[in-house]
Amino acid sequence: MPLGSVLLAFVVDGLLVGVTGGNPFAAYGALLCGGFGFICTQGENPVLQISNTIVFVIPLITTGVAVALPFRAGLFNIGAEGQLLAGAIACTAIGIKFSSLPSPILLPMVLIGGMVAGALWAGVAGVLKATIGAHEVVTTIMMNYVAQWFLRYLIVGGPLQLAPGTSKSSPIGAGARLATVLPNDNTLIIFGLPSSVYRVHTGLLIALAAAAIFAFLLWRTSLGYEIRAVGQSQKAARYAGVSVRRTIIVTMLIAGAFSGLAGATEIAGVDHNLTDKYFSDSTGFDAIAVALLGLGSGVGIVLAAILFGALHAGGSVMQADANISGNLVFILQALILFSIAANFVGAIRQRIPGLARPPTALPPEMPPAAPMMTEAAVPPVES
Amino acid sequence: MTAVTDILHLLFTANLWQATLAAAVLLLLPALGGVISERSGVVNIAMEGMMLTGAFFGVVADLAWHNPLAATGVAMLAGALMATVHAVVSIQFRADQIVSGIAINIFAAGLTVFLVNRIYGLQDVGHVGQSELIPYINVPGLDQIPFLGKVLFQQNVIVYAALIILVLTHVVLFRTRLGLRIRAVGEHPQAADTAGINVFAIRYGAVITSGLLSGLSGAFLAIGISNTFVPNMTDGRGYIALAAMIFGKWTPGGAFIACLIFGLGQAIYDNNSIIHVSPYLLSMLPYLLTLIVLAGVVGRSTPPAADGLPYVPGSE
Repeated sequence: MPLGSVLLAFVVDGLLVGVTGGNPFAAYGALLCGGFGFICTQGENPVLQISNTIVFVIPLITTGVAVALPFRAGLFNIGAEGQLLAGAIACTAIGIKFSSLPSPILLPMVLIGGMVAGALWAGVAGVLKATIGAHEVVTTIMMNYVAQWFLRYLIVGGPLQLAPGTSKSSPIGAGARLATVLPNDNTLIIFGLPSSVYRVHTGLLIALAAAAIFAFLLWRTSLGYEIRAVGQSQKAARYAGVSVRRTIIVTMLIAGAFSGLAGATEIAGVDHNLTDKYFSDSTGFDAIAVALLGLGSGVGIVLAAILFGALHAGGSVMQADANISGNLVFILQALILFSIAANFVGAIRQRIPGLARPPTALPPEMPPAAPMMTEAAVPPVES
Repeated sequence: MTAVTDILHLLFTANLWQATLAAAVLLLLPALGGVISERSGVVNIAMEGMMLTGAFFGVVADLAWHNPLAATGVAMLAGALMATVHAVVSIQFRADQIVSGIAINIFAAGLTVFLVNRIYGLQDVGHVGQSELIPYINVPGLDQIPFLGKVLFQQNVIVYAALIILVLTHVVLFRTRLGLRIRAVGEHPQAADTAGINVFAIRYGAVITSGLLSGLSGAFLAIGISNTFVPNMTDGRGYIALAAMIFGKWTPGGAFIACLIFGLGQAIYDNNSIIHVSPYLLSMLPYLLTLIVLAGVVGRSTPPAADGLPYVPGSE
């Protein structure tokens, strides 16, 4: 089903390119080159393209987990972006404040700091949901904007601003940085380019670990059982002795920690300081598509993150080679979301006699997000 | 305490309140759209995308036809078209309305920039001439009233229109048969269906109306207040409108009051040269206020009972 949705989105997207006077094949060729290093026609270095894709994939996996986990509890975390920013801010602040500390101390500090900040950011939504029933979609949207404006304040005229007139922070200390996979050396030539251009960093391992922890937590722990129980039915979970309130809060805290970690690894692994790039960051929103497409499994999330990472990395190549705006990628992403959510493929299948399948309920691994206002609007009552 | 005295000083100027009302209207139109849509039981977080689409197509039409009235119509239609997508996906296909809303917002952001590049090349869109903007009109006589004249009667046409739409929305929702039907569908669609109300038609109508109003707000932004299209120029206003809707407890009047509060914040922000608080910290206020409201400090905010639930005919 997801594969069909993705294909349908690509077809519709290609039509859009064609209708507006572009060449969809050139566009997708460039996308394939930029994303995976295949069939590059303009002399791009395939290894560099793959490296760039992985850099995009890393935070998508971690934030994808941060959306997928609450989804299992029937919670819709639209706040991964704000939580990511909170993590990035905390990581930067700690990395600057204690810049002289050695890596074995400072690196865990900035990563854990990012996780704590992200957890607190998401925790606000969790607590409001668990105590008075405020809908998490609305609260996390609000927290996103609070984080965005707070970030602007910090680096434009605020305490983290590098110098007047700039919109960035000073760099974090050397000890707070994640190592790149290839040595950061301008003189060493690897695959025809200085090895410093390959920005893949060891945050990749952290992201893969996050996906593994997600799968383990969900299927092998009692907390995972409680999360799934709450997602299926709060009432039934309550009868089974699960504290719904506690589960909601804990789920949001963990999700926020993952998002915060994504922000921290971006700073520690890629940027090394806060910049205006983060004003228009969309990782936390892409994560919603990653989580939905990944069907909430660890492997699925990694695969979906690779798809969207490749799309984003490919977008800039498409812009340069095929003169098609890289924003096509966002359109594609929206179409995939529509296609999955509305299950167009299933509807089409029903119309074609040979392909019709008996209607099935939602697959058990993907509960529908909690209806916005049924149980959600009523604060869970503890028995 | 200069910041406080500066703000107090500012509060007594007619200019500030004139700007407040204009900024409030920009939020009020999509907020009313949200009220109508959610009263009928369809969660709508897509006002941002519908507004952005309206803004873009409004500019495109105005640049092509040099006619602000026609351009405003195009903007409203563009918003309505986006809303129709939301309606089809969430009413017909019973998709998750939040996912659909997010997809609309991402879609609008991507589509508008994509089209800017396809239609205008990589350069910017170009500017609409002064005479082709949605006009500001002073109401003769009334605009001479001290203070109030400037605030209420020296405004853009859209501001007057929005105030009329506000009253209309309230009257229709709470004083007419149609409004009763909309609310019935949003509270208990099964009962409404049994009573002979066409649930799908009401919901389609409500969602498309929210698109028309959001598109109108987009036109006001792009060819009324501004004179061009800039990528992502709505800058979260659709989400503030969503906040205003909740703040106002899903009522037109309540939403208007919320929009005035947020608009005042915007107006103070725009006058930031004479105050000494970081404008970015001020920008956080609408969102923080909404969180405080949601936290129950100003009383419970309860949405329509069937908000967000797809209607399946024949279901319990």
